[in-house]
Amino acid sequence: MSIRNLLDSMEPNFHKGGKWEKWYALYEAVDTFLYQPNDRAKANAHVRDGIDLKRIMIMVWFAALPCMFWAMYNTGFQANFALSNDPSLVVDGWRAFLLPASMIDHTSLLANVYHGALYFLPVYATVFIVGGFWEVLFAMIRGHEVNEGFFVTSILFSLTLPATIPLWMVALGITFGVVVGKEVFGGTGKNFLNPALTGRAFLFFAYPAAMSGDAVWVIDGYTGATALSVAASQGMDVLTQTVAWSDAFLGNIQGSMGETSTLAIFIGAAILLTTRIASWRIMLGVLIGMAATSTLFNYIGSDSNPMFAMTPAWHLVVGGFAFGMVFMATDPVSASMTNRGRFWYGALIGFMVVLIRVVNPAFPEGMMLAILFANLFAPIFDHFVVQANIKRRLSRG
Amino acid sequence: MAKKESISRTFIVATLLCLVCGVFVAAAAVQLKPLQEANAVMNLQRNVLMAADRFDPSTDVADQWGTVEERYVDLATGRFVDAPEEGYDLDKILKNADQYTVIERSNDAAGIGRRENIVKVYVFNNANGIERIVLPMRGKGLWSTMWGFMALENDFNTVAGFTFYEHGETPGLGGEVDNPRWKAQWPGKTVYDVDGELQLTVTKAGQADSSTGYEIDGLSGATLTTNGIDGTVQYWMGENGYRAFLENLKAGDA
Amino acid sequence: MKSVLTKPIADNNPIALQILGICSALAVTSSLQVAVVMSLAVIVVTGMSNLLVSLLRNQIPNSIRLIVQMTIIASLVIVVDQVLKAYAYEISKQLSVFVGLIITNCIVLGRAEAFAMKNGPKASFVDGIGNGLGYTLILLVVGFFRELLGAGKLFGYTVLPTINEGGWYEPNGLMLLPPSSFFIIGLFIWALRSWKREQIETPDFVIAPNSRTAEG
Repeated sequence: MSIRNLLDSMEPNFHKGGKWEKWYALYEAVDTFLYQPNDRAKANAHVRDGIDLKRIMIMVWFAALPCMFWAMYNTGFQANFALSNDPSLVVDGWRAFLLPASMIDHTSLLANVYHGALYFLPVYATVFIVGGFWEVLFAMIRGHEVNEGFFVTSILFSLTLPATIPLWMVALGITFGVVVGKEVFGGTGKNFLNPALTGRAFLFFAYPAAMSGDAVWVIDGYTGATALSVAASQGMDVLTQTVAWSDAFLGNIQGSMGETSTLAIFIGAAILLTTRIASWRIMLGVLIGMAATSTLFNYIGSDSNPMFAMTPAWHLVVGGFAFGMVFMATDPVSASMTNRGRFWYGALIGFMVVLIRVVNPAFPEGMMLAILFANLFAPIFDHFVVQANIKRRLSRG
Repeated sequence: MAKKESISRTFIVATLLCLVCGVFVAAAAVQLKPLQEANAVMNLQRNVLMAADRFDPSTDVADQWGTVEERYVDLATGRFVDAPEEGYDLDKILKNADQYTVIERSNDAAGIGRRENIVKVYVFNNANGIERIVLPMRGKGLWSTMWGFMALENDFNTVAGFTFYEHGETPGLGGEVDNPRWKAQWPGKTVYDVDGELQLTVTKAGQADSSTGYEIDGLSGATLTTNGIDGTVQYWMGENGYRAFLENLKAGDA
Repeated sequence: MKSVLTKPIADNNPIALQILGICSALAVTSSLQVAVVMSLAVIVVTGMSNLLVSLLRNQIPNSIRLIVQMTIIASLVIVVDQVLKAYAYEISKQLSVFVGLIITNCIVLGRAEAFAMKNGPKASFVDGIGNGLGYTLILLVVGFFRELLGAGKLFGYTVLPTINEGGWYEPNGLMLLPPSSFFIIGLFIWALRSWKREQIETPDFVIAPNSRTAEG
């Protein structure tokens, strides 16, 4: 019996009055994930774009694949590299069982990916299971469908986390992101904040020691500082001596799992832009906002604050800037909807991220906060664009 | 009587109300003032006692205060001076250019800008003279100026206790300066080495080497607060702070 | 009379339904002890101001009634602040400006204007106490979660021993920051309105069902 037949034979049980009526949302999710739905729009639907939500979300997920691959490779590489340089470090806990000595080899691609997967996959699985649980629960109670948007939220959220974050924190973060960031407002399409970032922000403020600062990259007892915290505490000279720009661009640096490689992110960006899923206006706006603001800070200069000297090229490759620009800022639900609004929305993000990174003493990274901040302003930009449009049309007569 | 809404009536009501409320508020303020002032003094005394590790919550602060002496030190000469006749009010001192010194930026590890010329210190005496001494200090943390005390043993080189009694650092991170476990690191640490060089430092979290006797572990997740504490110690125990005074004390010549 | 006292607690809660007095609920709830003292201060002020305004309600000229109410409230708040400084110094230091800011707490002025100006002194006093209690309820709930999850303590006593103190609980730093009160109050309102559904507001607008095509 094919899966299609199996699903069809089960279907009546999920309809109103069926014995599994409550579980319809779950059935529907599995069914539409595997097959093209049979339903067609019955009236003249309000069409914003021809492409449907499912295809968008799956494409974003594909675009994130290079980052996911790099997340595993780089996490494994950093861990293996540390292990081979310092024999006193040992792998302990459950990973020791799954990690044969042959896989502790930083020159082998396979070994690095394998070791990194031991860090990434548990995080991703936790996000998926816990987040999925809330998603299905709300779908059942509220009677709406499980939305493919969660695929995107789950992968993006996982990629923004540091490799060694405790899994219970991961579970708490995605719970907050899905429930408070999205479901309390009525589910996908009605949230005004990016749910993945909302979850990350929750973790960032609740458990700052695990999420940022010097000690965040602790793998097998080896600690390293992220590029941004080096720049903020020791200055740009130290940063350029310890990390080459090309390494930061390729992603051979320490940082949250999916955020390190600007190259992998740009591959994702190319996919999103050629399929026209992400708005190029938003990305351009973020880029210009960042470049303009950081150039301005370069020009002003400061004796006591080394971050003033960070050039736009460095801002681009360190921290979560590129990842946020490509995957988070372009979230169609929480961004501006109008074309001109999108540009200004992006520019606001670019401005805020540099402002937070440079001027705020407490937070070395500002991408997450900048995007959440701009999310709040997205409707205002739209409002002004629409008002200007109305005015123009009226004056035209 | 005039109608309720008339102008004269409005004025009468307003005047009467102001009078009654004014008297009421003034009476309360005057009546309670002595109690409030006593509270402020007691609060300061308790913090001094806590810094010197001489605080016993079960008995009255005033009783424990008994032997503690308030003395004044001129930091430029490093010697005790007489109590200022006009009383000692730090807020006023820091506004009067004759009574404070502007700290050059390059020397200002604590980030406070100006320092009073005469400080008020607290001396715990016993039969043999000075037993412990409590030195006030302050410095900029991440968000706020942190006000604290460092207590020294009578060798004037061993820390007896350290506490911040007022600060506005992030709760749970920099705010952990209030954590007794963190404060417990201080007693027994040494300030200066045999050559008289200032060695006491606050390191990054988790990097203190306890074998040296000079290093205090910083607060995890609060780099800037930790830097602020270190700067406070470096400034106040250094050249421009208490160093001359402490050397005089060691020599028995303060 | 009893309903005047109890209604503001669950049915017409000043914070959860009227959405008044949020600011201090954010600021003073990081520990339960402080929240309790703040609540007592607010109960005293709402009760007394309602009583006094109600007693004077027939004498107050309409043109200056808000100023009169504010003067009474401000006087009461200053006295409460002075008393706290004299008799509960430690806590008054933690409450800092927020006792003084009871003056601007909309609950107090709101009840004086909406209730005490129209009702007798006895009912007004009870209404003031009831609204103070409604405020208290929220502060206690928020303070309970913030102190428990943020510091592992309740009224200063350790309930969940934290890692810093050798225990197992990793404290949630967000709970120590004032914005966490927004989430807790929000979730509380959610729970309250799931229980008392009549409190749910009617939506400002409803998305229209799909229109039929012109051809039908």
